[in-house]
Amino acid sequence: MRKFLLVVASMLFLASTLLAQSHRTVTGKVTDEQGAALPGVSISLPGGKTGTVTDAKGAFSLSVPSDAKTLRISFVGYEAKTLPITGDNIGNVKLTADTKAISEVVVVGYGTQRKREVTGNIASVKGTSLANLPVQSFESGLGGRAAGVQITVPNGVVNNPPVFRIRGVNSLSMSAYPLIVIDGVPTFSGDVGSTNAPLNPLSSINPSDIESIDIAKDAAATAIYGSRAANGVVLVTTKKGKAGRPRVMYDGWVGMTTPTRLPKLLNAQQYIDIKNEGLANAGDARRYEFNKDANGNNIDTKWLDVVYRDRAISQSHSLSVGGGTENTSYYFSAGYTKQEGILKQNDFIRKNLMVNVDQKVGRIFSVGTKVAYSNESSLISGSSGSLEGEAFNSGGLARLAFLTSPIVAPYNNDGTYNTNGGSGIGGAKGGLNVGIYNPKILLDLDHSNTEANHIQGSVYGQLKPWEWLTLRTQYGIDYILMNNDAYSNNKNGDGYSSNGDATSTYTQYKRWMWTNTAQFDKTFNQHSLSVLFGTEQQRDQRERYGIGRQNQMDPYFNNSEGGWLTDLSRNMLRRSNYLLSWFSRANYNYKEKYFLSGSIRQDQYSAFGEDKKKGTFFSVSAGWEITKEDFWANSKLANVFSTLKLRGSYGKVGNYAGLGDYDALSLYRPVPYGERPSLYFSQAGNPNLGWEVSKKTDVGISYGFLNNRITGELSYYYNNIDGLILFVPQIPSAGIPSTTAIATIPANVGKMYNKGVEFSISAAAVTKKDFTWNTSFNIAYNKNEITDLAGALDKIPFVTSSLEQTSVNQVGYPASMIYVVRTNGVDPQTGRRIFVNKAGEQVYYNPVGAVYSYADGKPAPAVGTKDAVAYKNTNPKVVGGFENTFRYKNFELNVLLTYQTGFYVYYGSLAGMKDQRYWNNGVEVLDRWQKPGDVSETPKLVNGDNISNGSSFAIAANVFKGDFLKLRTVGLTYILPETALKSIHLSGAKVYVRGQNLAVMTKYPGPDPEVSSNGNNASGQGIDRNTLGNGRTVTVGLNVNF
Amino acid sequence: MNKISAYILALGIAALGTACQKDLLTPKPTTDIPDWEAFTLKERIGNEATGLYTVMKNGKFLGGKVLIANDVRGEDFVNLTTNNVTLNASWKMTAVGESQEIKEIWSQGYMAINNVNVFLAGMAAKGNAVAGDSLAKIYAGDAKFVRGLSYFSLLQLFARPYWDGAGSKPGLILFWEPHTKLGDYSRARSTVKETYDQIIRDLDSAETLLPKLTASTKFSANKGNSYNAVALKMKVYLQMGQYDKVLTEGAKLIAGSGPFTSPAGYVLESDLKNLYTPKYAGKEAVIYMPFGASPGDFPGTQTQLGYYYSPASVGGNAEYALNTATGSIVADASWKSTDARRQFILPVGTRSFLVKYAGPSPYLDFAPVLRWAELLLIEAEAKVRVSNTVDPTAIALLNAVRGRSDATTVFTAANFATPNDLIDAILKEKHIELLGEGNRAMEIIRLGIPFPAKSATVLAVPPTAAGYIWPISSDELVYNKLAVDNQ
Repeated sequence: MRKFLLVVASMLFLASTLLAQSHRTVTGKVTDEQGAALPGVSISLPGGKTGTVTDAKGAFSLSVPSDAKTLRISFVGYEAKTLPITGDNIGNVKLTADTKAISEVVVVGYGTQRKREVTGNIASVKGTSLANLPVQSFESGLGGRAAGVQITVPNGVVNNPPVFRIRGVNSLSMSAYPLIVIDGVPTFSGDVGSTNAPLNPLSSINPSDIESIDIAKDAAATAIYGSRAANGVVLVTTKKGKAGRPRVMYDGWVGMTTPTRLPKLLNAQQYIDIKNEGLANAGDARRYEFNKDANGNNIDTKWLDVVYRDRAISQSHSLSVGGGTENTSYYFSAGYTKQEGILKQNDFIRKNLMVNVDQKVGRIFSVGTKVAYSNESSLISGSSGSLEGEAFNSGGLARLAFLTSPIVAPYNNDGTYNTNGGSGIGGAKGGLNVGIYNPKILLDLDHSNTEANHIQGSVYGQLKPWEWLTLRTQYGIDYILMNNDAYSNNKNGDGYSSNGDATSTYTQYKRWMWTNTAQFDKTFNQHSLSVLFGTEQQRDQRERYGIGRQNQMDPYFNNSEGGWLTDLSRNMLRRSNYLLSWFSRANYNYKEKYFLSGSIRQDQYSAFGEDKKKGTFFSVSAGWEITKEDFWANSKLANVFSTLKLRGSYGKVGNYAGLGDYDALSLYRPVPYGERPSLYFSQAGNPNLGWEVSKKTDVGISYGFLNNRITGELSYYYNNIDGLILFVPQIPSAGIPSTTAIATIPANVGKMYNKGVEFSISAAAVTKKDFTWNTSFNIAYNKNEITDLAGALDKIPFVTSSLEQTSVNQVGYPASMIYVVRTNGVDPQTGRRIFVNKAGEQVYYNPVGAVYSYADGKPAPAVGTKDAVAYKNTNPKVVGGFENTFRYKNFELNVLLTYQTGFYVYYGSLAGMKDQRYWNNGVEVLDRWQKPGDVSETPKLVNGDNISNGSSFAIAANVFKGDFLKLRTVGLTYILPETALKSIHLSGAKVYVRGQNLAVMTKYPGPDPEVSSNGNNASGQGIDRNTLGNGRTVTVGLNVNF
Repeated sequence: MNKISAYILALGIAALGTACQKDLLTPKPTTDIPDWEAFTLKERIGNEATGLYTVMKNGKFLGGKVLIANDVRGEDFVNLTTNNVTLNASWKMTAVGESQEIKEIWSQGYMAINNVNVFLAGMAAKGNAVAGDSLAKIYAGDAKFVRGLSYFSLLQLFARPYWDGAGSKPGLILFWEPHTKLGDYSRARSTVKETYDQIIRDLDSAETLLPKLTASTKFSANKGNSYNAVALKMKVYLQMGQYDKVLTEGAKLIAGSGPFTSPAGYVLESDLKNLYTPKYAGKEAVIYMPFGASPGDFPGTQTQLGYYYSPASVGGNAEYALNTATGSIVADASWKSTDARRQFILPVGTRSFLVKYAGPSPYLDFAPVLRWAELLLIEAEAKVRVSNTVDPTAIALLNAVRGRSDATTVFTAANFATPNDLIDAILKEKHIELLGEGNRAMEIIRLGIPFPAKSATVLAVPPTAAGYIWPISSDELVYNKLAVDNQ
């Protein structure tokens, strides 16, 4: 420090003495590589304070002491130059862009690294490729763009978090979602709302504000995040201003989404025929008949049209200003988007502002701040039936759309709503049901909205006293303040029995974190060393409270603030957690040929048992750039390979995401007993609960041919999750408390692995002046297997939405296998469903009297989920993408295909669409069994039968291959010629058309094989139960630069 | 400037080692009470003793679904919504081990039992000293009462009746030790007889430990006391077919030969309207599960009695209508149209609904587990069976119940040619009296009669059939390798 002060002092002295000397004037002009003038460039004497900046034409004139020898020319975003003063005019100076600032650099935890020095596995995606996609949150657009990254958009409800996996599912009970770090601050993910409208906190970021996304996959890249690295880390960097004149950009698009591949249902005539056949077969004398509308015509309602929008309109507008000088850079942006879902009343609206400012204060100190504010609204009428836990909601709209009988209408002939006078839809005659709720009433009157105010911000101070030392402190916050507003009307549906129900819930997620790092960089004799030390604290506080109100005084009211008779507290929660860490990383390379790196992190986390809070994680990695070897450089291979780097890494990382803040504790809960105080044992904790741990191995080659015209990577990985945390199911008779039917206690038991191979290749296939073609392809193969659960326990079944056992985690199989009772078609003689029981015997089911029998007619024990087997795998074995960008003159065409193969989907909705209660059916039933000899997939229809087709327990007949190839995005862009723009003072403009989700090639009969009724839950993937399909979107947009 | 900032930053970083807040690593929840503080305060222990009942009265257990299951398995109701969540499969007699009601009732019942065991262990370790002897004794009685009633309620659904092999069939899995942490709790089922023995032990103990609260003590029916423990034993012995013991217990509660009185102060409500009101706390109540209007205190979604049986006009969801077909109890001509109990049958269109639980959402009608009228009829039946005569006291007991609702019918010995005729009359009276009060399937199983057919596709279930009783929870069979299913 003393030396440093001496330097400062002597500089000040020098400057003051310089003033007394004689002067001369030096002039010159600064341009970029293309020769365009650079205004605002700093011109100074090295080590001195005297300086100026270039004018609008890039010219400068500076008075300097006559004995000055050199000039320093620097500009943010460009490599600084020190030039000898050759005369009074030093002529034209060209600055080259600082490559470290752009493509050659990747963001790693707590810093950046040059790409060629990285020994970990990191995939980078440029913000521009996501900027104007019609998605609510950026990660939904990542599918197919990086090897080993699996994105599954689970349904068509807007602002729903996608299923996001990096290299397979890496946890069973904890969250399997990657850690998302935005500008150095880990953020919240998942659905944080408390209504039927999902709220993905990542949607607070306007995708067009994103500079780059770096996806860290192996231990070397992730272990610096220690306890949160198990699922991979996604590092998002938002845009910063670039020096120069202010650049103003507007980007806007409007678009339209249409539902695709909706199920084909029976019309009224078909419904009557089918249901009456079932009644006759059941020995029931009642019959369905047509209802008449006001004009005397037969009612034939297409309920899909009542529930779905035929065209959903979306729009987005972003405006940004960025610029800066050598000392200051700034970026401001504002955005607005409103996106309609394919479900009526389902909208997403975001308004956002962001400011990034970086300021140099003096020569060694810099400060900066980032503030991002967004206001997001997720709107929906009520349950879509598509979110985790919603599949069997009575009011689930996706199901009501296919279940409700076409012989009744939304309205009575007098124009009033059609109800049965109670919670249900009306129109049933003779005791024959026609539906559950009237979806039209729910859509018209109900709402279930979440509005979030999301503030993400940070300030930092950075001190760089010497070239080799960077000290940095950063304090960041991530606050989500939410208002949840739900109303169920008192005319029909869930709200009927309570005479209306309104709930308001206020939720706040508050996180602060403080990170301090010291970074040492030193190069000596071609040895390059960089070392990082840091400490970090992170604290989360969650609070939630709400009021429910019932018995509305007047139908006028539809929020909790209105007129009601009954007050109820609801959704109470107050929790906190704390993470305290230190970490270190060292990177070393010799001649950029041999690379070594290691990292270590120790975390202490509040939610673990008293003596289990501390965890230490690490990684080691090495790389070898073969092309730098003499033997290689001198061989003919050097003409082909421009880079060829071998690398490998090994490390231990952890996971705690998804663990409750107090899961290690045993608790007593206060609940009143007949208006008297009472407490009972409500949670059995595990005081020995510690980290979920996995060990990641990665070996890879990155390569570049022909001067890096062709580049890519090949890697193999093995992720050994030998320390799972499992929520171990407890024997029900043990009476461990739980609010669900099966109690669990978290414990460090269980083992699983993922292993796989990833390959990616990108090529600049054609690089002609008028025509270029860039192509990139990636493919990833993954194998997942559970090798151990809790000791003797070899399988843990999973129940979808607390009702239907659909999945199982079983030793020797991949996670989340479809768990169904096998079927063997329909008996052509009797039309009975043939089940295959646990023993492998064929059992025939007769719905009349609910009789199970063997083929010879002898009675058989009833078949049920106890006969289920781990039937099919739901984890795609192969995922990937194929992207092509063609540019011809001013036109650019971008086509992205994504694919997933090697997995199955349980199409549970089909059980509903073949249910022989009053439910409407899919056209599949038209091909039912009717007489001996008929070969059909649909058994003999017997009214009331909800067993033969899989409504009572899941059956194999409803399991299908999910393999698909999707035309994910197609974009056509026209770049307006510069000459045309000059006259209107624009520096660039583009118009574009984008198509999203345009076509899918699949044998899956449901709306979309990309589906998940259980959201991101790692134990219940591949389930399509009463879920809304996805839509197809086409947008047109305009991008203008001033 | 640089110098200053350098110092600020250096100091800031140096301060870090001390700035971290270690205490944040051991947070104490503010909304639930951690176990190490559970038995440290007298008042808190008292609340935990009440909490023993809270777990039992959950809508998934005695507060709703146990009663609903016993009624809809019987023949008195018709399922209207064909919804498996509201026990359609149970009604159709096709419920399997994974049916929601089976899993829920099984696990909620055992949660009530384990909560008792955890409480008793906590009291023994620490709580008795804090609470003091006299309170500790009462709380132990509460614990035994809840455990006995919980085992009893489970046993009626998940085990063969006592008459089948004199209790030798598989009963429940019995636990006395607390389960508070991870462990292997696999255990085989005891026999039906062993389970009944345990129930009787618990209730005998509760009778001794608990105070003798009379029916005039407000809300005495919402918790155990010496009297209702005896009353419960009457029902337990009745289910076992041990009628002499019913009478032994009955002698402690029922005095006189008509009019009947009770040292416990139990009396029949003279006006039935007063019986079927929300939060009923009158003198006819023997054991009722109470509810309140605060969240957590009323039964949860799709577990409320009123929601199942009441039509929309009364605030229910009309899940089940009454069976009014020929041969049904509602259609029985001897149940006169002027009988006051018929006022709780409400015709809506072509259907008739039971409106005993008329309180609308949030459904605060207390769940009736045992009331005085039932005890009178239990006593009556036992008297006839033990004496094998047309017992005049039994007739008087029968008349006491019938007479309250239908003064025009007075039974005399002349009405009954044989003791069996009298028993039939008592059983029919009970069928009418307890319609929709959670007793029907228990009664059918005890008597060993078939479950009648309910429709063209829902056929009669004879006592020998597997579906006569429920299978046990499929979860139990998955995780407890020592457990076996019924049949």
